[in-house]
Amino acid sequence: MRPNSIIYATIATLTLAACGGEQPQQDTLTLPAVDSTATLRAEHTKNIFHNIPSPMETAGLLKKAGAEYDKNILNDVKNVDNYTAASRQALNLGIYGADLSYASVFNNTQESMLYTSCAQKLAKKLDVTNAFNEEVVGRLEKNRNNRDSLLSIISETYWHVDAYLKENQRDNISALMIAGGWMEGLYIACQVTKVHDTPELRQRIAEQRLPLTDLIELVETYSPDDAAVASVLKDLKQLDSLFADVTVPTGNSTVTEENGVTTIGGTAPQAALTDAQLKSITEAVATIRASYIN
Amino acid sequence: MKHITTILAVLFLLALPAVSNAQCRSFAKNKCMPSMAPYKFNETFNAAQLAPGEEAQVDLTFYSGQEYRLMVCAHPILGTVNWQLQDASGKSLFESNADAPKDHFDFKVATTQKLTVHFAVPADKAGNNMLKVGCVGILVGYKE
Repeated sequence: MRPNSIIYATIATLTLAACGGEQPQQDTLTLPAVDSTATLRAEHTKNIFHNIPSPMETAGLLKKAGAEYDKNILNDVKNVDNYTAASRQALNLGIYGADLSYASVFNNTQESMLYTSCAQKLAKKLDVTNAFNEEVVGRLEKNRNNRDSLLSIISETYWHVDAYLKENQRDNISALMIAGGWMEGLYIACQVTKVHDTPELRQRIAEQRLPLTDLIELVETYSPDDAAVASVLKDLKQLDSLFADVTVPTGNSTVTEENGVTTIGGTAPQAALTDAQLKSITEAVATIRASYIN
Repeated sequence: MKHITTILAVLFLLALPAVSNAQCRSFAKNKCMPSMAPYKFNETFNAAQLAPGEEAQVDLTFYSGQEYRLMVCAHPILGTVNWQLQDASGKSLFESNADAPKDHFDFKVATTQKLTVHFAVPADKAGNNMLKVGCVGILVGYKE
């Protein structure tokens, strides 16, 4: 490649990277093979992703299980200006996102708009305005009375925030945001169960043992290089120890067809929590969550 | 001039991942997301640029009573990506391969459980000297 070609290619690449906006439709790259290809392949042979269920799915499950809406358990919107460190901003972007999902799933438009504003403020502080900007807020405002559209826009926005962080090698910030969202989902579940204690709600809390394992593995990836992530990992491991005796179904799945729907079943009973387990998890998650929001 | 060229070449290599990942997001948004309707999709971005011969896995939790759509969406340049859904004991519950390719699987689970998706990009049999890289996205959607 001639020097001028390198200069032009570099300028074009840097411009694209700096813009960070919607990229053109070209979605594959063809790279010239280099001597290090074999090494690179060996390094990337196994990519392991950890997919944590979204706070919106958790909120929907709580609603189905009979939970009621309580705005008093959510993070105060006034706290949003208190978060100055990037790690706290990321955790609380996840927390406000979960609050936004909870308010929206339960169709509380007024609070949805307040939490949208908080989440957008934190996204701006984290320099993720490319994915969560005034245009998104405008779309949410416009669709405030259309629950399905509102939920879709929220999901899409958080998906773009997560993607934007990952494509800019800010995976540690993404991990903190996901951890904050999961923690808030568990906190909300425990708080609503205090008022409306049913086997279904206990089951949904008990089942959090499964995504917690994935979340720990995700956060562990970044903990050696980031003190804030290491601190969150410690919190997650503390919670994991409280879930240690919670029974959750594993393996021996069967696949059947019921009314045209493929069903993956198992013989194991549904997950459940004892009073003591519920109490210890509720207390621990409240303490950890308080340390994130205050 | 030589130093400038070297610096720019280094910057080019440093910026390349961000550009290629942004293209992956664009691919997932434009080519995969529309096929998720009417399912609400999970907010976690699971997509990567993979080359022929590479494989990956995603661990997922599925809740009882929910209906799900699981989609493995790969750029055609990679050919047919083989993928398999397994339970915690490694038992195969669904498989898509070159003989019977499918880009998605709709199902529900009777008991909440963790399942794993394994996927593999077929090796490049043509043996040309260009390393092809394409986006593979994994999307999970659920119905309320």
